Amino acid sequence: MSSANPGLAYDNTPPFSAPLRFLLTAPLFGIAAGLVLLLDPSALASRWTPGALAAVHLIATGVMLQAMLGALMQILPVVAGAPLPVPRGIATATHLLITAGSLGLSWGLWQGQPPLTLGGAALLGIGLATFLAAAMLALLRAPAPPGQGRTPRDLRLALAGLAVTAALGLLLATALATGAALPVALPDLVNLHAGWGWMGWGGVLLASASWVIVPMFHITPAYPKPVVQSWTPAVFAALLLWSAVMASPWQGARLALISLLCVLALAFALTTLHLQSRTRRSTPDASFLNFRAAMLAIVAGTLATAVAIVVDHEAAPVIAGVLILHGGFVGAISAMLYKIVPFLAWLHLVQAGIKAPNVKKLSPDLPVRRQLRAHSASLAALLAAALWTPLAPIAAMAIVIEFAWLLVNLSRVVNAWRRAGGQWQQGPRKKVQNTV
Amino acid sequence: MSDILVDTRGMEPPEPFEHAMEALAALPPQGRIVLLIDRMPYPLLRLLDRDGFRHEAQVRDDNAVEIRIFRP
Repeated sequence: MSSANPGLAYDNTPPFSAPLRFLLTAPLFGIAAGLVLLLDPSALASRWTPGALAAVHLIATGVMLQAMLGALMQILPVVAGAPLPVPRGIATATHLLITAGSLGLSWGLWQGQPPLTLGGAALLGIGLATFLAAAMLALLRAPAPPGQGRTPRDLRLALAGLAVTAALGLLLATALATGAALPVALPDLVNLHAGWGWMGWGGVLLASASWVIVPMFHITPAYPKPVVQSWTPAVFAALLLWSAVMASPWQGARLALISLLCVLALAFALTTLHLQSRTRRSTPDASFLNFRAAMLAIVAGTLATAVAIVVDHEAAPVIAGVLILHGGFVGAISAMLYKIVPFLAWLHLVQAGIKAPNVKKLSPDLPVRRQLRAHSASLAALLAAALWTPLAPIAAMAIVIEFAWLLVNLSRVVNAWRRAGGQWQQGPRKKVQNTV
Repeated sequence: MSDILVDTRGMEPPEPFEHAMEALAALPPQGRIVLLIDRMPYPLLRLLDRDGFRHEAQVRDDNAVEIRIFRP
């Protein structure tokens, strides 16, 4: 490959404020989810209670979506060489739309107000469509040098999975608000929405980020090529077949396909754990340990999902959801945020021509380690509350503390960036040779 | 003029970037840096483009990326 990539437009690199607004909003939604559980202690009695639906959507469309879109704004240019067009405009519009949409959707679900649920879902849909159009354009324009791996393909599929999840959610919100007839039974459509969100969006995005982030930050061997090449297409094939048989009477086919999805989730988590066990790091940092805990939670959550399918008990799906959503996705996202935000702060200082402090100085390990312990404690409290609901207020407070602590730690990185000379409005950039 | 070899394989980001920046600052006028890195460093390439450094990148058989950097 020859010199200077003509397809790379560094002027389109998003300013620090573009991804940061998403990454700092994410913990606020976690605090909101904790407050819902605090005010509605019966929420964990079943997956169908209004409080559970609100908390799940605050975590999924608040914490997860905000963190993922913020990370994608930076991952696309850094990993895939695909900077978003008009990054400031896309960030502002998308952030406002999905924040308002998530709040409206969750409040509507909690308070039983279908028009508000539909309005929130519509705002979320518009915000996502804006982001997806920009991301797809960026990926189509990106160069494809050799050695890039499967990440851009898998990122495209993750965005497609997100689009399907959002479309199914909009369909559900429309049916609830207008009473429109559905092509399949309501619980089946909810399961499709949750299944696509779990594996088609969350799982594929987590995996496509992990293909890069685990070897890069955890200093492990690369994922085996057959896993990277075939995992995401296998997930999509299983999801499409599962969706196709949902309207059919073939219970056996449904069960086989959901089992296949569980096996695929286990394969990803166990492969990641195996790679982490072969790290060349002498001492694992807090983020490494938390990512490992997240993978263990995904293993346990997937097994709990399998149990929930065969055992008719209201606590089983709640436990599976808590393990996958809070233990798996929130845990992995927290671990990634502690890598992404300091790295971005460092990168933006360097790009502004400022001598940047070491990343460990921008984000010391000890506060991170303590906050991640709070995450483990709130997971344990949530699981206990799923089995015995009088413990729900304790779990709720633990969640509020966990996410407030996350926000404080991330804000400390931003303060360190400001102290080092970082500015929201960057002046003319200095050249490399003057920076060191 | 001999090449300056900067082998950053196995390092956690942003250490490879930091080592590359140090080498760039010390690069003599006719010198050349050979940077070995685990993956294509897009942010570094953007910075090199911006500041007029010439660079050539190739992926080796062992999947490491080799980037040769010259002064403008």
